[in-house]
Amino acid sequence: MTLSEADLTAEILRNALCVAAEEAGIVVVRSAYSAFIVEGADAAAAILDVRGRLIAHSMSTALIQCASLRSALPFVLKAYPADTMAPGDVFVLNDVYQGGIHANDLLVFRPVFVDGTPAYFTGTLIHVADLSGLSAGGMASDATDVFLEGLQLPPVRIATADGLVDDLVRVLAANSRTPDRLVGDLRALIAGANVAARRLEEIIDAYTPDGLARGVASYLAHTEARMREGLAALPAGTFRGEYRLDDGHRIAVAVTCDGDGGVVVDFDGTDEQVPLPVNSGFSQTHGGVMYAIRCFVDPELPMNEGCFAPVDVRLPRGTLVHCTPPFPGGGRFGTVAAAEEAIFAALTGAAPGDGRGGVAASGILQAFSISGVRRPWLHMAFDLGGTGARHDSDGADATGALFGGGRNIVPQAEPVEARLPVRIEEVSLIPDSGGAGRTRGGLGTRTVIRMLEDARVDTRGDRLLRPPPGAAGGAPGRAGGYYRERADGTREPLGTKATRQPLAAGEALVVETSGGGGHGYPAERSPEAAARDRADGKTT
Amino acid sequence: MSITLASDVGGTFTDVVLIGADGRVEVAKTLTTPDDPTEGLLRGVREVLATSGTAPSEVGRFVHATTLATNVILERTGVPVAFVTTEGFRSMLALGRQARVEEERYDLAYVQPEPPVPLTHTFAVPERIAANGEVLRPLDEGAADRVAAEIAALGVAAVAICLLHSYLNPAHEDRLAEIIAARLPAGTPVVASSSVWPELGEYERATTTLMSAYVGPVMASYLERLGGRLRGLGITAPVHVMESAGGVLPAALAASRAVYTIESGPAAGVIAAARQGARRGLADLISFDMGGTTAKAGLVRGGRPGITHEFQVGGKGSYGGRRPGTGVPIKIPAIDLAEVGSGGGSIAWVDGGTLRVGPRSAGADPGPACYGRGGTLPTVTDADLVLGYLDPDGFGEFRLSPERARDAIAEHVAGPLGADVTEAAAAIHDIANAQMGAAVHVVTVRRGIDPRGFTLVALGGAAPTHAVRLAERFGIARVLVPPRAGVGSAVGLLHADLAIERARTFLAPVATLVSCSASRDALGELADVFDGLERAALADLLAPDAPGEAAVERSVGIRFIGQAHAFTIELPSGPLTPGTVQRAADEFYKRYNESYGIDLRDPAEVTTARVRAVLPSGSRDVPRAEPDPDAGPPGTRRIWLDGAFHDVPVLARSACRPGGEVHGPCIVTEPQCSLLVPPGWRGGVDDHGALLLEGGA
Repeated sequence: MTLSEADLTAEILRNALCVAAEEAGIVVVRSAYSAFIVEGADAAAAILDVRGRLIAHSMSTALIQCASLRSALPFVLKAYPADTMAPGDVFVLNDVYQGGIHANDLLVFRPVFVDGTPAYFTGTLIHVADLSGLSAGGMASDATDVFLEGLQLPPVRIATADGLVDDLVRVLAANSRTPDRLVGDLRALIAGANVAARRLEEIIDAYTPDGLARGVASYLAHTEARMREGLAALPAGTFRGEYRLDDGHRIAVAVTCDGDGGVVVDFDGTDEQVPLPVNSGFSQTHGGVMYAIRCFVDPELPMNEGCFAPVDVRLPRGTLVHCTPPFPGGGRFGTVAAAEEAIFAALTGAAPGDGRGGVAASGILQAFSISGVRRPWLHMAFDLGGTGARHDSDGADATGALFGGGRNIVPQAEPVEARLPVRIEEVSLIPDSGGAGRTRGGLGTRTVIRMLEDARVDTRGDRLLRPPPGAAGGAPGRAGGYYRERADGTREPLGTKATRQPLAAGEALVVETSGGGGHGYPAERSPEAAARDRADGKTT
Repeated sequence: MSITLASDVGGTFTDVVLIGADGRVEVAKTLTTPDDPTEGLLRGVREVLATSGTAPSEVGRFVHATTLATNVILERTGVPVAFVTTEGFRSMLALGRQARVEEERYDLAYVQPEPPVPLTHTFAVPERIAANGEVLRPLDEGAADRVAAEIAALGVAAVAICLLHSYLNPAHEDRLAEIIAARLPAGTPVVASSSVWPELGEYERATTTLMSAYVGPVMASYLERLGGRLRGLGITAPVHVMESAGGVLPAALAASRAVYTIESGPAAGVIAAARQGARRGLADLISFDMGGTTAKAGLVRGGRPGITHEFQVGGKGSYGGRRPGTGVPIKIPAIDLAEVGSGGGSIAWVDGGTLRVGPRSAGADPGPACYGRGGTLPTVTDADLVLGYLDPDGFGEFRLSPERARDAIAEHVAGPLGADVTEAAAAIHDIANAQMGAAVHVVTVRRGIDPRGFTLVALGGAAPTHAVRLAERFGIARVLVPPRAGVGSAVGLLHADLAIERARTFLAPVATLVSCSASRDALGELADVFDGLERAALADLLAPDAPGEAAVERSVGIRFIGQAHAFTIELPSGPLTPGTVQRAADEFYKRYNESYGIDLRDPAEVTTARVRAVLPSGSRDVPRAEPDPDAGPPGTRRIWLDGAFHDVPVLARSACRPGGEVHGPCIVTEPQCSLLVPPGWRGGVDDHGALLLEGGA
């Protein structure tokens, strides 16, 4: 029963790597300026090796951000071969075609040297306050190409051992509506990468370079073996699924399981990319695929390269799931969530007679930003829809982020009001918004934000025109939306992808998220469950 | 110093320790009486008073640790509570700030935790305070009264109120509390968030308030009963209750602010370990406290137990349940530790051919099979007895029956598994060690901390039997076993000082506090806030008239303007001046640079005023164990070691003289516990009777 010395050492090492990434994420959150990050603790951090393999990431990291860091590193190494890097170098990029997400998501990498050459990288990523583009905060849903989304950054050196590369920092600051915050956020990203690098150097000192390399190799191999074991349990064959976006565009997927631990996820048949930011960069779709597939194996598996290795992801270039220049990718989460839903549909069909009868769809993340007209201020946030009901349980209320996370990243009212000229008047569950069924979909929320100064609003949501469908006879969830509430109380819809809509002081932005779909016939809902819903006000 | 009594009520045993004016110590271990814990406690008190020949009136202080608050929250056995907030925010608690962390994020069958208060018991009133403290909309008293009537109709036993921005302006909360209280039976607690923890962030302030309301009445009636019973015995000394951060509170305050005592029991063990280590110059310790029902591990680094301000009751995650977004957040500072629901009383059972231990515990009633009190299911204690690690005649207040232990293991474990009874017992012992390992794992390995440089401190009745084997699992080479380790947490209580922390959000740019001219207003306001906090803290400690005796530490939260996370910076004692604030800001810049490697001098702001008042009241010395001159010669017993029974020496702890040595394999017995020293370990006895074992790999 006693752990062997070697096992213990290996386990301490694995955890030390995860903690290094965790610490980097904490440092970024604590030292950043973007309210989106500091209130919501929404930062990503990862440790990778020079071969581009993901070793560890911080726990709060959304999988699509983690996938971005993993996808982008090879492009950094292509632009700056490892042997040209010097200790103290730090690189930054945001290019969606090189593994990035969109202009406002900055990725920062720092090499960690072993015997004079880069052997590992630490990476951090956050959504910075503003980096040019049509709308403050980078959420312009009318950006017809990538240049309208914001300043484009291929991999470039942002710091050396001597400190920040001031020439570049000045260019970045000059392209931001909130230059101080942008530079603050950049510093935070670098600080996070530096802290993780320092921890990694300590680990190398403690374990020797060979010891660390062996530990990493066995960690990844062990994870891969368990991942393959889990995937081998899926029935062999090819299973198809699809999901349509609000605009009618189709994400189609074929998941082929070889029954031996290998899986091919092919999006052939997905609609062509569009000149609007609803496309997804390849790294984002890849992250979504990994999330969806991970839902069918042991949830306790660590997330590292061992999980990626057995999954062959095929993303046809020039489609919604893999945009190419100059098509924009900023609003990708609707498409990523659709890709995930398509995989869920495929894989729940893949197991006939398992009693689940498909998965009802979820309301998803609905982002919005509010910016000042007369002086620069910016509030970026999102709310979450209700998740779809499962065959044996109601959906969860307002947690429909289909890549982990939850309401802890939705800012609270008091800190927002203490900081910005807005007043939050309501944050509440919407009665009757969960799709009816034998099991009920999770509820969506309503948030009402009153402007105390003239402002502009950008919105970015999906599953609002085509609400999340139910499964096995369940009803769809109630469609959410975005609204302007006039001072006299009248409400008018804002677009689901509105840009720079004026809201005068005294008017309010109303954000309603969609409820999740129901599962099974509503008439079969137990009277006790129905009575409880009424008592709780979840239904009327 | 007068006589102090300390008691620690665990799930299985109640420990009582008495320290006399001369430093002499008497201990008693009685079975916990779950229906009325004061029963077992009083029995222990009577016992130590009798053995020490102390008159009840001589007792000057009664210190108490209890897991009542935690158990009430985890088992959801608090009183029915109603929650009232600002109109528009009725869903606050139901929405929560839950994060789907780690494995939960990939769980398609994820089921949302129930909200801490059902929506049927949640109300909202029209009113609004702005972010600068101004009243935007006066409290609608008619609506408030209607809500009060609805609450009265529900028959709740307590009410929690959290209105937006009440940390700046408590007027609406105070008035609403009056209106609600008027409709409820006299004495029903109505708890306002501004009186519990007035910091910005409505959700955490609400849950902290709510938990105080939920636990308060249970705690109040318990402490009242305890006080009454002590008085009945003739003890009129003040009762102090351990708080989560390692100090103690007067009983009245522990009842009205029960949420401060959430980690009352576990904290005592970590404090005891830190104290024991400090005396021997050991600063990096892992406290390992194993009782009958649970085991806890805490980390002491550089002599200081870790304190967290982000504590979640019932939280999850691989960092010891401390991951934000899980459980019910409590803003009160607490000692950072990990707990597993497994101890000497954990029941061993066979599940589909696999041996399992716990999580069910035999507790005190019926207890392990070997107690002969009606228990028939085998426990870890039964296994330890079968393996020879426990002395059938030397355990607390009764004899242990090896026959019953063997029978229970044979029937419920060995039989179903087709194994030999001894082997089954050894497997139970090993599994228990592995579970104990999980707690140690969480506070060390999971955080990337190598436990091998630490000293394990064994506390609690079952710890000495398992501690050295546990150390071996982690390659830990030193184990400290204090005298009276079996009641170690209660001994730790003897040293606790009266202490309370109070904080209030105070947002102001540093610039407005340090400039000579424009600063008067803001600086004066901050000084007033500190004065108010200090007065409140001293009143909490029942020392408003003796401020000279209490030490008050003041600190501020400081951050860069525009950021959300602040550093806590201590202020010097003496008047608050532009200079002291400037020095605090400089210290902030320095620490920010040290932590993040960013040398930044951007404008900073003060966020929070915080005071911790400490009234020294604990015993100063670590009690010593006087060797017993009449201790007999060592005996021998057959114990199971590495696959076979061996005869090993059995020493009485009381025969271990300062400077003496013990060599494994051997057993060292005390009335409250039994220390297993495996082969390869040896230990020295210091002048206080503590054993420091060294060995292992």
